[in-house]
Amino acid sequence: MSFFRRKAKGKEPERPVDGKVNRVPANTAPANSPSVSLRNHHAILEAAGPSHVAINAISANMDSFARGRTAILKKQPSHMEAEHFGDLGRSSVNYLASETRSRLSKTVDQILRDNVATPYYIQFQEAHGADHLVRFWLEAESFRSTSWSRIRTHSLNSVKLSSLAEPASTPVSPDLSSPSELDLPSARAPTPSPQDLDSHGNEGPTAQLIHGNSFSSSAEQSSDTPTRQPFSRAGTHFSSSGEQSSDTPTRQPSSRTGTPLKQQSTNALKELSDKLMKSIERDAVKIFTKYISPDAARPIPITEQIRNDIVAKICGEDGMVDPNCFVIAQSVVFSIMEQQHFIEFLRSHYFCKYQIEVLTSGSVFLADILFCESALFYFSEYMEKEEAVNVLQFWLAADNFQDQLAAKAGQYDGQEAQNDAMILYDKYFSLQATNPLGFDDSVRMEIESNICREGGPLPDCFTTPLRQAWTTMEKVYMPGFLSSNLYYKYLSDLINSVRADEFVMASAPGQNIAPDGAPDGTPAQQATKKAAAVKILKNFDEAITVDIASLDPESLYQRPYAGRMTFGKVNELGQFIREAEPEPDVKKSKGSILSLAMKKLVQGNSDEAQEEMAWKIAKMIVNDVVHQAHHDSPGKSTKL
Amino acid sequence: MCSQCHIRAALPEERTPTSTVARSNRSQAKMTTAPYNYSYIFKYIIIGDMGVGKSCLLHQFTEKKFMADCPHTIGVEFGTRIIEVSGQKVKLQIWDTAGQERFRAVTRSYYRGAAGALMVYDITRRSTYNHLSSWLTDARNLTNPNTVIILIGNKADLEAQRDVTYEEAKQFAEENGLLFLEASAKTGENVEDAFLEAAKKIYQNIQDGSLDLNAAESGVQHKPSAPQGGRLTSEPQPQKEGCSC
Repeated sequence: MSFFRRKAKGKEPERPVDGKVNRVPANTAPANSPSVSLRNHHAILEAAGPSHVAINAISANMDSFARGRTAILKKQPSHMEAEHFGDLGRSSVNYLASETRSRLSKTVDQILRDNVATPYYIQFQEAHGADHLVRFWLEAESFRSTSWSRIRTHSLNSVKLSSLAEPASTPVSPDLSSPSELDLPSARAPTPSPQDLDSHGNEGPTAQLIHGNSFSSSAEQSSDTPTRQPFSRAGTHFSSSGEQSSDTPTRQPSSRTGTPLKQQSTNALKELSDKLMKSIERDAVKIFTKYISPDAARPIPITEQIRNDIVAKICGEDGMVDPNCFVIAQSVVFSIMEQQHFIEFLRSHYFCKYQIEVLTSGSVFLADILFCESALFYFSEYMEKEEAVNVLQFWLAADNFQDQLAAKAGQYDGQEAQNDAMILYDKYFSLQATNPLGFDDSVRMEIESNICREGGPLPDCFTTPLRQAWTTMEKVYMPGFLSSNLYYKYLSDLINSVRADEFVMASAPGQNIAPDGAPDGTPAQQATKKAAAVKILKNFDEAITVDIASLDPESLYQRPYAGRMTFGKVNELGQFIREAEPEPDVKKSKGSILSLAMKKLVQGNSDEAQEEMAWKIAKMIVNDVVHQAHHDSPGKSTKL
Repeated sequence: MCSQCHIRAALPEERTPTSTVARSNRSQAKMTTAPYNYSYIFKYIIIGDMGVGKSCLLHQFTEKKFMADCPHTIGVEFGTRIIEVSGQKVKLQIWDTAGQERFRAVTRSYYRGAAGALMVYDITRRSTYNHLSSWLTDARNLTNPNTVIILIGNKADLEAQRDVTYEEAKQFAEENGLLFLEASAKTGENVEDAFLEAAKKIYQNIQDGSLDLNAAESGVQHKPSAPQGGRLTSEPQPQKEGCSC
């Protein structure tokens, strides 16, 4: 059933496997809330029961795309934690820090690191003639991370050279699995990459194995270096572009060269180190010539001083290239993008396209909705209709409260925070609360002790009820929202924004939901269509159904408002009947093209008779055409 | 079914009612008391210094009551009410933000996608008037270019303690292209008008095309005033006809 399917898709993999989880929300938070929602909850929960198995199956197969979120959620105990853990959920991790991101609202940094959003951003920049900025940033970033890995390889190789007594190729096979991922970063950015790929492909199978080998050990040793983060992210980023065909075939031979490794190791290692260093240098020079040197095709706007600095770092005294040589330039470019282009991007239809892709990807999370203002607009309306707006209000208020406390990093007035917290308590928790949500006593007592804490409440004061409210919204209301009219309206609004922007059209003709099917418009027709659309907007109280896309010939001839036109009206045949007094000399000049043609053709006696005859013939022709159109099946009006 | 309009949010039954029958219904302006019969939803935000009376204005507007000692707002809250603009039922979703400086960062994220903004100051406290330029900067930066902003001088009932004259505020409003009203949440004077004026301006923008009704982040939801307004469980149907691709 579509309802179940959507529900399964819309949920994150829920943690505890017990089927009781579904029942509990009815007993804890929402049970004491208004009876209307209770009815709702039970209905939904009962419907949700059987799909729990499906949900578990899906969560078991969940891939790394949502791994972060999954991991966090697995740490979150479920709704019934109070009874489950017996410690009022104190042992659970503070989940708020990681749930603050909506995939629909992004910062520049997030977009550059998100491989779904980046292409849209690149397209946007291209349209504005500034794509070299973003391409430079991406290339420089990958250069930096891969250079670090290569340097690490190099240094470890030097270590290896000196201590070759150790078994060099310890676990060969397990490493083979990792090189497939770890070698990926050695391939470069999708756009400028062919040469780079070759340079690494040249290293040969032996090199691949050693590279993988040493890298895996280096990965273990230096797992907490800061560069590893961007590295792996860059790795996954570029792996998604599917560049790694050259790595796979070379992986096979490496297993075979496992044993002869030791003999060749000294020379090979040395050769490898040289190759690595050279490749770093080559890449750096490439980026330099492409973006930074004064006679580059599209130089990025940096000062002379920065340029010299980069040159100095590339041509270091010890012959080693500093992998961080582009960092300053990167930050300059980054701030340019952030200040000048980003807000426009967020308003552009490219961002709408990205949002549409996220929303129609089949897995929309509650975080995506709650942290994106435009989605929240629709969701609030939905919650109000479901008469559960209190849950949302509480969640918003408490989340904001905790956010601003956390942002203070410990330097806040405890008394003030306590007052704020008391306001929330009085509104939602106390026994005389104005908007009771039905949290049970254990939660209430926990909140009381959190608030009355010596020194004022901590930023995680409301974590437990926040989590319960989150879970309630996620399990009970999200699925309904995702299949609601409001959500489709939101999606269609996004789509319309894209269309409107792309084809410079005002909007869909009056219909609120049907997107204007008019990408048929050639640019020449845009102006007229825009005028037509605007005019229709003026009459939108009547919600005119004239759809530019549909070509129902009948509707062209019907003029239900003809009476309101002051100069005349057009009858069924398209004949214009004047209502105003005609000008005396109008008969000579006026005359439809058809009637003129008819006159020429027919050569009747008098003008009147001629015209009459002409109209008769026209009527016959029109009837014929209409008749034919009726004969055809009605759905075939697809011609333009 | 073409690739460009493969997402059709139109429910098949909604295409036919927008014909002569429904049209005549609406043009008769026969409004039933069904809860969901509004055609539009406008998103408003209320901003301004703390203690100027934003929450009281909202409360007076939605509940027609004055909260004498309401606690300060934590973060944001929202309230709704249905009004009538040019014969159309419009629901206002009004987001009331906290004025305290410490909440400024979190409340900024709610400005986006607002169709209308009420900027409130207290006529008995000059400082709240002086801070208006900072609030206005935020509003202009974070909202759409054609968001309607209306300046409200609250506590107009406290004439004896007035610290900001009507004329200077009016001039400030005119210089910045804002609507302006003095109101009192306590007596209810001009409260409805404040929200209504902004709504009229928004409606006018929609009519002359400067506000795109069907764009996301316009702060406006438009829906047919068919009785079913809530959840409809049918999937989006592919358009069977009239696909011009």
